Amino acid sequence: MKRLLAILLFGFSVGAMAGAQAPEGEFQNSACLECHQQQDAELVAAWRDSVHATAEKAATCVACHGNNHDKAASRARRDATCIDCHGGQKAPAVHSYTTSKHGILTRLEQKDWDWEQALASANYRAPGCAYCHMHSGNHDVGTAIRTWRPEQATGSDEREQVQDTMRAVCQDCHAPRYITNLFDNGERMLNIGRMKVREAAVLMAQARGSYQPAGLEDAEKQFLKMKTQHLKNVYLGIAHQSPDYQWWHGQAALDGDLIRIRGAIDQARRLLK
Amino acid sequence: MSRKRVRYIWIPLIIVLIAIPAGFFYVDWSKGGSGAGLYSRKWVPEAVFAYWNPDDFYRSVDSVMGEFEGEQCISCHEAVTPGIVKDWRASRHSRPGDGKDTVYCSACHGNNHQELHLPTPEVCGGCHSTQHAQFVDEKRFGFPSHALAMERALDAEHFVDKPKAEVTACLNCHSVASKCDSCHTRHRFNAAEARRPEACITCHSGPPHPDDETYFASAHGQLYLAEGERWDWSKPLRKGNYKAPTCAYCHMDQGRHQVADKSMWKFGIKQINPLTSGNEVKRKQWVALCSDCHEEDWSRQQLAGLDAERRQAWSKLYAAEGILKQLRADGLLYPAAGERPPYPNDWLDSIRPRARIGFFEGQASAFYNVSPIERDYFEMWYFDNLGAYKGAAHGDAGFVLRGHEAMDQALVAIEAAAAKLRRLGEMEKKAQARRPDPAALWLSGEYTEFNRERN
Repeated sequence: MKRLLAILLFGFSVGAMAGAQAPEGEFQNSACLECHQQQDAELVAAWRDSVHATAEKAATCVACHGNNHDKAASRARRDATCIDCHGGQKAPAVHSYTTSKHGILTRLEQKDWDWEQALASANYRAPGCAYCHMHSGNHDVGTAIRTWRPEQATGSDEREQVQDTMRAVCQDCHAPRYITNLFDNGERMLNIGRMKVREAAVLMAQARGSYQPAGLEDAEKQFLKMKTQHLKNVYLGIAHQSPDYQWWHGQAALDGDLIRIRGAIDQARRLLK
Repeated sequence: MSRKRVRYIWIPLIIVLIAIPAGFFYVDWSKGGSGAGLYSRKWVPEAVFAYWNPDDFYRSVDSVMGEFEGEQCISCHEAVTPGIVKDWRASRHSRPGDGKDTVYCSACHGNNHQELHLPTPEVCGGCHSTQHAQFVDEKRFGFPSHALAMERALDAEHFVDKPKAEVTACLNCHSVASKCDSCHTRHRFNAAEARRPEACITCHSGPPHPDDETYFASAHGQLYLAEGERWDWSKPLRKGNYKAPTCAYCHMDQGRHQVADKSMWKFGIKQINPLTSGNEVKRKQWVALCSDCHEEDWSRQQLAGLDAERRQAWSKLYAAEGILKQLRADGLLYPAAGERPPYPNDWLDSIRPRARIGFFEGQASAFYNVSPIERDYFEMWYFDNLGAYKGAAHGDAGFVLRGHEAMDQALVAIEAAAAKLRRLGEMEKKAQARRPDPAALWLSGEYTEFNRERN
């Protein structure tokens, strides 16, 4: 029975494609995949490889495109589609972008843009989330702009690949030298952030060897904040070009963390004496 | 006249005559290094600084040879960087109307591809002379200022001291002094875009200046958020054209480019006397502006409310500063100055180390390499206090409340931390135990050493 249903469904979808008209009606994710597998297997495979598909709470076709074909593509291209799942307006990943020049221009002008256009060739005056992260409609989200990992340095073999993939996106609008300079600067900036975290890690390792855990609670808390929030802010600030995240939420906050970690260790030391 | 008396006149005179030109010479010499500003000889710029401060650092690419006219630039860059060409085509530069000539790429960047330049305000001022003259005129009002922003960043102690890749973000925002596209983004250069409040918030956001949050939460901002999309932004910033004021409506009324000419409270960063004759003039200007919509009396009251909020804030801040200064006097700061990396860029500090407390001692650059209690005060002053000020100035009562609550809590925490420092200090004295030397913990570390060697 199931097989019969599948054949029928397949027949229906092929028929629909032959008419070159997107079928009307509401669909579930499995139906989208079944039909689009025939149309553009590469796109579906890219999605299956992506973190959108592998994540515990997967971003399915329907999650971004809605459950019908009416404006399905243009709906998914808008920032609002991404922002809901990525933590909302106040999440650093979102806020660092929405306060950047790219995000501001998109916010101000998006209502006048033709969102039916492809996410390429500077079809949009400023890039929305999808323009960079799903450039040219690449459904393996994040491969167009390969994700940097803030806690580890980019290997020299990876470096070229990262720069090349990014360049392919940025050069729609920016000059080659500008892209290279910003990229190199960003890498150095991030490395300085990593350096601060490593400095703290050494201090923590020494302290753990000398004092009881109860005396180091504040230091541990601060160290965690450093690694999980402030270093990430530097990285988000660089990636989304937000000076505020690079500095106040990032580097300047890391400076404060180092002071507080040292202060907490000092106290454990003086009380022990 | 005795010979001795003659000597009393001549010697100081000669010293003065030598010292003044020597001073001028020294300042001039100090600006001649690889960096820029007063400490230019102490640092080397990052390549990206060319884009934030083109006048000092931009050098043309030399990859393409030849001289080009407007249409040639366009036809090539249509393929190389299509986005900027699309932008330019949609701008008034590409179709200025009224029989005016098209403003091509070469008008601002030059013709010779090996000697291209990034346009500075002077270049834009070649045509937009009124706006440029106003923009430059803002300098005479002093800090805070758009026109002085770059100098202020370059001459900041911590900017000079820190690795340059770390402080790139400083110049990114402070570039508002060095180019016009911070507000009128390239290559559209639209006046209407700059009138929208969002145009300001890439820089005017975050802990020390939450202008975005405080404005959007105010009644003015709420009206804008609800209706702004439907307003005609091509209209000048004048009475009757906008239902609610935006950043630019108040700070650049009539479109004048002296953005901070009415600034009285100096960002909330230091205490000022709001009743000087100069500030009375500014107060009248504010009242006149508010009177576009509000009653004069009401406006005066709002400004008086701001005076009161500031007095209250400074009573809290000075209480905290007092605690810190007493600790410093009693030698109880831990680590004390001298047991941590020196205050940036100050040779006197290495001979006679001294903790910086408050605005006038330069604490704005002393937010790292200091003891925890000093950092606590820095955050109280720079984040909680400045936030409260912005809330009060922009009419966001909630932010004022939260800022003052945060200051109250910070003051309590600083008092507790000070008491602890006292207790520990006295304990160490009584037991005649040697005070553990903080230097080992504070003077080394990967970043700390990198910062010392690679500023």
